Amino acid sequence: MSEATRAEVCAVACAELFRGDGEIVASPMGLLPSLGARLARLTFEPGLLLSDGEACLLANTPGLGAADEPVVEGWQPFRAVLETVVPRGRRHVVMGANQLDRHGNQNISAIGDHARPAKQLLGVRGGPGNTVNHRTSYWVPRHGRRVFVEHVDVVSGVGFARARQVGARFHDVHRVVTNLGVLDFGGPGHAPRLRSVHPGVTVAEVEESTGFPLDTTGTTETRPPTAEELRLLREVLDPKALREREVPS
Amino acid sequence: MAEIVSLAEGVRRLVHDGDTVALEGFTHLIPHAAGQEIIRQRRRELTLVRMTPDIVYDQLIGAGCARKLVFSWGGNPGVGSLHRFRDAVQHGWPAPLEIEEHSHAGMANRYVAGASGLPFAVLRGYSGTDLPEHTATIKQITCPFTGERLAAVPALNPDVGIIHAQRADRAGNVQIWGLVGVQKEAVLAARRSLVTVEEVVDELEPVPGGVVLPSWAVTCVAEVPGGAHPSYAQGYYDRDNDYYEYWDSIGRNRDSFEAWLREKVFGVEEVAT
Repeated sequence: MSEATRAEVCAVACAELFRGDGEIVASPMGLLPSLGARLARLTFEPGLLLSDGEACLLANTPGLGAADEPVVEGWQPFRAVLETVVPRGRRHVVMGANQLDRHGNQNISAIGDHARPAKQLLGVRGGPGNTVNHRTSYWVPRHGRRVFVEHVDVVSGVGFARARQVGARFHDVHRVVTNLGVLDFGGPGHAPRLRSVHPGVTVAEVEESTGFPLDTTGTTETRPPTAEELRLLREVLDPKALREREVPS
Repeated sequence: MAEIVSLAEGVRRLVHDGDTVALEGFTHLIPHAAGQEIIRQRRRELTLVRMTPDIVYDQLIGAGCARKLVFSWGGNPGVGSLHRFRDAVQHGWPAPLEIEEHSHAGMANRYVAGASGLPFAVLRGYSGTDLPEHTATIKQITCPFTGERLAAVPALNPDVGIIHAQRADRAGNVQIWGLVGVQKEAVLAARRSLVTVEEVVDELEPVPGGVVLPSWAVTCVAEVPGGAHPSYAQGYYDRDNDYYEYWDSIGRNRDSFEAWLREKVFGVEEVAT
């Protein structure tokens, strides 16, 4: 099998987000997180619950853009998500972020002044609830200084300093996977760390693309996909290679 | 008891300039035909409420019907931005649009409080975000039992709640099934309500998981086949995914949007009489 592409490395890094999660609802937003969650379920996290993107829980793990018919095993209406799943914390969401800062604050609301923004974004939607109720990770397909800023314009998802300030006891921002590497907030005082760089990416490249300092003392290389993971990605989960469009090599 | 009327009559009777109006339906059963009838009747200064403003509100905002938007997510699902919404917020075109931004859970809980006749709802979300600074309808309260600091959001009681459902009987009892959002709460919380339906039938056959809104909870019912298009109506038609792509090309520019308004909204009579 040919060498893994950058997109495939990202898919595996997204799968790794769910390692150890067990029997909880995985809510991946976007293509690469969805591939990651499905890959994790087919390999090391078979207990993950996945929805069809709407209100049904899937018994099988169909590919994206593949011919597989979804097999429904449960009904998870939006009411159950808002009233039970999120507040009880049995969920791991992977959201996007238009901005992320050194404290782990996320912005998906607006760039500029909230009342008359330079750029009106989609809105905070689940961010304020997700980040103070259960584990949250982020996926950033284009790692750059427009995303990784010193301070976000509108805190939509809560980072570590704010969480401490308000006593958010279920706050749990896990990791940030990007097209260049994997970050977390595991440094001293929840300082941002570069956990790993993807094969072919240098630490300096990530530092240049990030608007705040990163602790790089323990930075390693992101683990490459196994042969079985590559087979699952290429033949089962994403036969049309949609991943390569989101993260070109 | 609900009265069965035409769509034009329902909108004429129930939606007035300056009203607070909630059109609900999440992914499924979005009341698009009713939204376009509001545009056709040139309502102005509306406060539009909706958890997930998508194409239906992009059209109303672009047509200048709205003064304010209460929401938690505004986008073209699966496609990208709502360009008319963004143009209104960023550039005040065709009119400035005030926004009141909440989270999904905040919006849903506000409807539930409104439907329950309670003054507010309580939730853990919002703590630590910047939203309470920008949104006046988010306050902090202290739990009297545990001392935990939580967010309180006031009940939503729109002047008018508008939804689309699969069918109603001749007495105006409404039946809805499949994926539901907060339609039931939006109708129960509203002072007046309009339900468009795929068909009016003699008898409502029970459907697994179905919700029945009794006639006494609804003000007007209008038969509007296809009234949820381009969203879908389970048991009747599928989602028109191409339309969502098409909308991106229409909504992107003021000119193409205005041409669309002239041709597709003002250029046609009401859909059903």
